[in-house]
Amino acid sequence: MRTLFLFCIIILLSGCQKEKITLSGNASDVFYVENAGVSMRVLVQGNTASNTFILVIHGGPGVSSYFYDTKYISRNLGDKYAMVYWDQRNAGASQGTSNGSELHLSQMVEDLKKVIQVLKFRYGQDMSLFLLGHSFGGLIAADFITQPGYQDMIKGLINVDGSHNYPLNDTLTRQKLLTEGQYQVSQKKNAGAWGPIISYCAAHEGNFTLEESQQLDSYATEAENYIDSIKYVNIVKKVIEYAITDKYPVTAILSNLLYSEDSNFNKELAVSQFSSKLNIVTIPVLVLWGKYDFTCPPALGEDFYNRINSTYKRMVISNISGHYMIVQDKKFFCDEVASFVSKYR
Amino acid sequence: MIKTGITILMLLYCTLCRGQCDSIRESSVHNFDLMLSYNSSLIYPGMSIGIEFPIINDNAQVIKIKKNVRNFTKKRFISENLNWYHHPYFHDNLYLTTEWVMRRIRYTGFISEFSAGAGYSRTFLGGTAYKVDDKGNISIIRLSGYNYALITAGGGFGYDFSMKTQLPLSAIAKMNLIIMFPYNSTIYFRPVLEFGIRYTPGKAGNRLKRESNTISKYK
Repeated sequence: MRTLFLFCIIILLSGCQKEKITLSGNASDVFYVENAGVSMRVLVQGNTASNTFILVIHGGPGVSSYFYDTKYISRNLGDKYAMVYWDQRNAGASQGTSNGSELHLSQMVEDLKKVIQVLKFRYGQDMSLFLLGHSFGGLIAADFITQPGYQDMIKGLINVDGSHNYPLNDTLTRQKLLTEGQYQVSQKKNAGAWGPIISYCAAHEGNFTLEESQQLDSYATEAENYIDSIKYVNIVKKVIEYAITDKYPVTAILSNLLYSEDSNFNKELAVSQFSSKLNIVTIPVLVLWGKYDFTCPPALGEDFYNRINSTYKRMVISNISGHYMIVQDKKFFCDEVASFVSKYR
Repeated sequence: MIKTGITILMLLYCTLCRGQCDSIRESSVHNFDLMLSYNSSLIYPGMSIGIEFPIINDNAQVIKIKKNVRNFTKKRFISENLNWYHHPYFHDNLYLTTEWVMRRIRYTGFISEFSAGAGYSRTFLGGTAYKVDDKGNISIIRLSGYNYALITAGGGFGYDFSMKTQLPLSAIAKMNLIIMFPYNSTIYFRPVLEFGIRYTPGKAGNRLKRESNTISKYK
């Protein structure tokens, strides 16, 4: 019995991770950043020798960074730069105990700052770091860069279908659903499916409650299925494909997602906006948007683009994308990001 | 005197005669089992060691329609297990459980069992953990991880070699579900597949065989 116990302990200790910092063209390092009751997973993958890092701020809240780590991105961005996948608190492989009370936007901005500090501690203070925020990640990025002095920590920002203003986002989503829906019906395309969406939008004109906002979000996701121009990608199939090879903690991802979706945190988000503060942004910014993004409509990107004071800013629209340009128009996405980063790193 | 003697003998004989009984309960707890198993979470490796203490041991005979008689032993155990699995880059989980095990062993050696229990889990993060203080100083936290309460339930099948041979071993395949909490203010659940060997020290194999043979005489 004692031998067995010792054997088990030896195996356990041999499994413990040692600090692994790789500076190469093909790195894959995982570490955790502990802050306010949670340990957040950070995966650094790709060309760390380039000294250029792109930190992905995933959507959600509660969606994992695992879903952004695709083979295409590894081959077309990871070969040139290091991709950093950070699982936010209560998302993906992040772990903790009773930490729900810490789930706030300001806490996430502090988490992001600490992730950047640890990245620089590991790979060098002189690194070129870019933030890439998608969807809800755009809100965290907007909050981060509008904090005094924080934008000096990074070389540039890439906003991909990100939301910097939730109340405006709801208004624009309703507007786009209504306009595009009516156009699709006039073209006799999926008229039956657009009917309830148009009726709902017509009946709810503004000052949306959280439930109405969530319903609009649900319709926005559904609406992408009724646009022929969007390149169809079976996201569920992709997730299943990567779940084993990338060692997803599937049940943790699911628990975190369900918790975040239902948490009171969403009430705070529903009134969050950074439009009024964006004028302090001066770093280079690339704005990438999907033409058929109903979740965060292109007009939201235009608002972001028009309000920042960056000397260099560029906004580009993908004509075959909805909200998930990273997989729907992956070549466009990688080419634009690579070109932007190579110019400002 | 003779009449009284015959009556006493008859009463003694009746207490010995078990032909009318469908169930024989053993009054004493006689043994413990040791268990070693591969405790994987489907594709991630792990291990489990445990000890089982028998609480109840019933031999039962069920007569079904068309005179189909089935003999089996019903057992109840309290089991203490030390389990571990390794999920790369996520965590290592070392957890201790106490379970109530309900097991049925057929005369053929076929085992079916269910268990439920509670325990304690300690995880170790699958990567170096860093902490940044308010001044921006960064330190590494050794053996970083979390403590969780844990409940578990599962069921499985197996084969008891001691029913047909002298081997005091049984093989078992079991699916367990472990639920840890509070995990990020919610729960963390994980299906765990267990393939194991159970060893019963002493002569448990012969005992079971004798009991089964005894029952079979009354068929």
